[in-house]
Amino acid sequence: MKRIFYLDGQPVPFTSGQNVLEAAIAAGMARQIPYFCYHPALGSLGACRQCAVKIYPHDDKHPPRVTMACLLPASDHLQLATVDQEVHTEHRKIIELLMLNHPLDCPVCDEGGQCHLQDMTVQTGHAVRRYSGPKRTYRDQDLGPLVHQEMNRCITCYRCVRFYQDTAQGDDFGVFGSRDRVYFGRLEDGPLESPFSGNLVEVCPTGVFTDKVFRHDYARVWDLQQGPSVCPHCAVGCNTLPGARLGTLRRVRARHHPEINPHFLCDRGRYGFRYVTAAERPVRARLHGVHSRQDAVLRQVATRLQEGRSGFLGSPREDVQSNLALFALADCLHAPFAALSSPWMEALAQQCMALPQAPTLNDVEMADHLIVLGDLGGVAPMAELAARQALRHGARLTVLASRPTALAEAGDYRPTRPSALPDLVTGLAEDACLQGSRRPVILAAAETLGPAGVHALRKTLARLPANARAGVFQNSPNLFGAAYFAADGHTVRLQHALRQREIDHLLCLAADPLGSDWGAGIWRSLAPGLQGVTVLDMVDTDTVRAAETVLPMAAFPERDGLFINYEGRIQAFAPVYRREAQVPSWQENTRGFPAAAGGQMHPLGPPTPQYWLGRLAELLDIVKPWQERLTFYQRFLCPIAPRPDHPGILLDDALRARFEIAAAPAAAPVGTEDWELDLFRWHGGEALADAAAELQSLAPSRGLRLNADVDASFATLSGPCGRLRLPVLPIVGMVAGVAALDQEGFAQLGLHPGEAVQIQWETVS
Amino acid sequence: MSSPISIADLQDTALIARLQALVAESPVPAAAISAVLYTLQDARGYIDDVALHAAAQLTGLSPVRVEELCTFYSLVLRAPAGRHVLRICDSIACHLAGAQDLLAQAQAYSGVALGEVGLRGALTVVPHVCIGLCDRAPALLVDGEAAGPVDATSLAQWLEQWEADAWKPS
Repeated sequence: MKRIFYLDGQPVPFTSGQNVLEAAIAAGMARQIPYFCYHPALGSLGACRQCAVKIYPHDDKHPPRVTMACLLPASDHLQLATVDQEVHTEHRKIIELLMLNHPLDCPVCDEGGQCHLQDMTVQTGHAVRRYSGPKRTYRDQDLGPLVHQEMNRCITCYRCVRFYQDTAQGDDFGVFGSRDRVYFGRLEDGPLESPFSGNLVEVCPTGVFTDKVFRHDYARVWDLQQGPSVCPHCAVGCNTLPGARLGTLRRVRARHHPEINPHFLCDRGRYGFRYVTAAERPVRARLHGVHSRQDAVLRQVATRLQEGRSGFLGSPREDVQSNLALFALADCLHAPFAALSSPWMEALAQQCMALPQAPTLNDVEMADHLIVLGDLGGVAPMAELAARQALRHGARLTVLASRPTALAEAGDYRPTRPSALPDLVTGLAEDACLQGSRRPVILAAAETLGPAGVHALRKTLARLPANARAGVFQNSPNLFGAAYFAADGHTVRLQHALRQREIDHLLCLAADPLGSDWGAGIWRSLAPGLQGVTVLDMVDTDTVRAAETVLPMAAFPERDGLFINYEGRIQAFAPVYRREAQVPSWQENTRGFPAAAGGQMHPLGPPTPQYWLGRLAELLDIVKPWQERLTFYQRFLCPIAPRPDHPGILLDDALRARFEIAAAPAAAPVGTEDWELDLFRWHGGEALADAAAELQSLAPSRGLRLNADVDASFATLSGPCGRLRLPVLPIVGMVAGVAALDQEGFAQLGLHPGEAVQIQWETVS
Repeated sequence: MSSPISIADLQDTALIARLQALVAESPVPAAAISAVLYTLQDARGYIDDVALHAAAQLTGLSPVRVEELCTFYSLVLRAPAGRHVLRICDSIACHLAGAQDLLAQAQAYSGVALGEVGLRGALTVVPHVCIGLCDRAPALLVDGEAAGPVDATSLAQWLEQWEADAWKPS
């Protein structure tokens, strides 16, 4: 039966557990009830006293009374009124009190136009300030490069501190003072430490916390072009709402997805977008390192391809169609193709795809027991945020990691060597810690766990109760989509062809085989056999700098496409804006396109990868077979492509089941005396986000992280592909015999997490 | 939030031992925070940054949490105070009974703004939230001892006494 109550005589449907304000907002009747401190994710507080309604009790004994809608549980046939003199007076007077100290700076405030306080003030009709006394003022703090503070605008709704301390469980931001001198900030000036600090901008109902990155290149919100997009910075696939103006991307905000990110976004997702506007981004085609005409560059690539000695390398950081377009081109030319740059990564992708029953982040929040393997927060911060919500609901947490991560401090930390993880995961089904849990969820950093670990996880999952869930995360947005047609020894074949001199040209799509991709060490050792490298990319990488031909690509908000996230959820993103090329010299760029002849004044920004690959197919005269193959592959993988504002379609289980290989992947044995490597990531680090200057100014220093007992200042690591000298950074509580290294370091050494390494120590006094 | 200041920076082993005993006898370390802060304030006069971080480390709270507590409770001082601290209640009952006049009188006598140290280090005057002596309004706390009702004459006597003490050779 549909449950309803009445607001001003209008029926409002509700579900049990909802309060009156929540139900009214859901029913689109929020205009009748102004509110501040209530937030769907933070709950009700009753602090602002703004959401008054009048309740008419059903009995004759009690007179009607004014009460707060956010604290009133919705119940059947409740009679409520807002069209009432008393309620109206309350609304008007409360807003007048809240506005007492608020500066009249809306014209210069970044929040103007998207300000909840502005909306509510207009809605309640408060227009004239009667108070003429001095206003309460504060000194603002410098909260780092991401969030700007303007405390004078505060109306003390406590949303910020409820988000920061309760939801994100950060401990470097709080509320100080009492009475009418309450201050929200840090102990002293300095950058906010939480990986979710950018959400303060969205939860603040007024302009106390505004987006400092957006501030550099600001536009009023009504001038922004916005559209549904998907975050490209990790496997979670949060829904985002990029905003652009005059052909440049200005900001990214969270877009509601009921099962992934209902309200929030991590700082990597919010501020990583600056790769789009980075000065180093390749935006013009290059031949031998010099900007050249597109046609000349394309002809050079086509000549290379015509020689029939080319290999193709895709990337999990590109979308489904681009990878398939590259695969189709390779197929037409009978050339070797690999989607991933290392056989190890290929095995990992296979195992991840075979792993069934991935939890949505909603499932993670509802879990009653969480087991986290590795540093989840460094890989997929939003998964960590979901895990923290489960902790708030009373879930138990066990963390198996080589160092005490932020999450480990909130639960039961079991120091673990990465090489021991597969065996430990196998034993989890019998582990006492999982006994009696009804909705256990296992979350893992895929690369720390490794192919053998993910395989063990699948076997363990089969022995756990049917409602157990397991999700593995890495920080590229489209591992499944990229690897689906190329997860079967393709990388080995491609590298073999290069070693045997069967090919001498490599066409890379958003891959960085000569830089920091997994297995880059091997590619670099093979590089002397390459006559030329062609790169399609949207960020400046080592491979782009070394390439013979560079074809710049449109960034994700500049085009449409599909990503497949860690659950196997196919999500679409839409083009939000059209980039106009930054014109360095008017004459140079308009010479080829005279406006009088109908040409464009400003040439458009970089085209999509499909455009480039299509042009190459044209030049090679294989457009028809290329298109047929592309259509076929895409129909096979996702027969019904979702629309960009759709919550997504799960990849067919039958397709994923093809990757269920019974044999466990081999893992290199590690002696207990050996030093072994673990992966270090930080919450803002990822191939694209690494080009976002503001976010990267917070990056931790580079070095080798190991137990504080080691007495050395520098370490020289030796791997099969090279040596690396790094400063030693001591970590208290880290497992002895494990050293944590960034992905770039792994790439240089040619090693993988959980493998043994030779280390030479140096002590500098 | 990690802090560069450690407990050892208090440089008083007897005090550290007393604080650790307070934490040890409390059911959870965080519950000892008020007692730890009072002990630190007695020993050092006020809660300086070293004391703040030491209290945070002893109780396992973040320094932000301790600062939240210090700034909320007016009995905790975060700035140096005089040898005598005069806390004059200015909540509703005392306000109606003339607390504002007492505050003005005491402040004028001290010669400095409220909360600052006046009379050659002898006196600090601060307004205070309700101390529960509404029946004896206007009430105040003289070095932690409650007094009330207080009038201008008795307040002047205290102030003159402290001023005389301040001029005595030590």
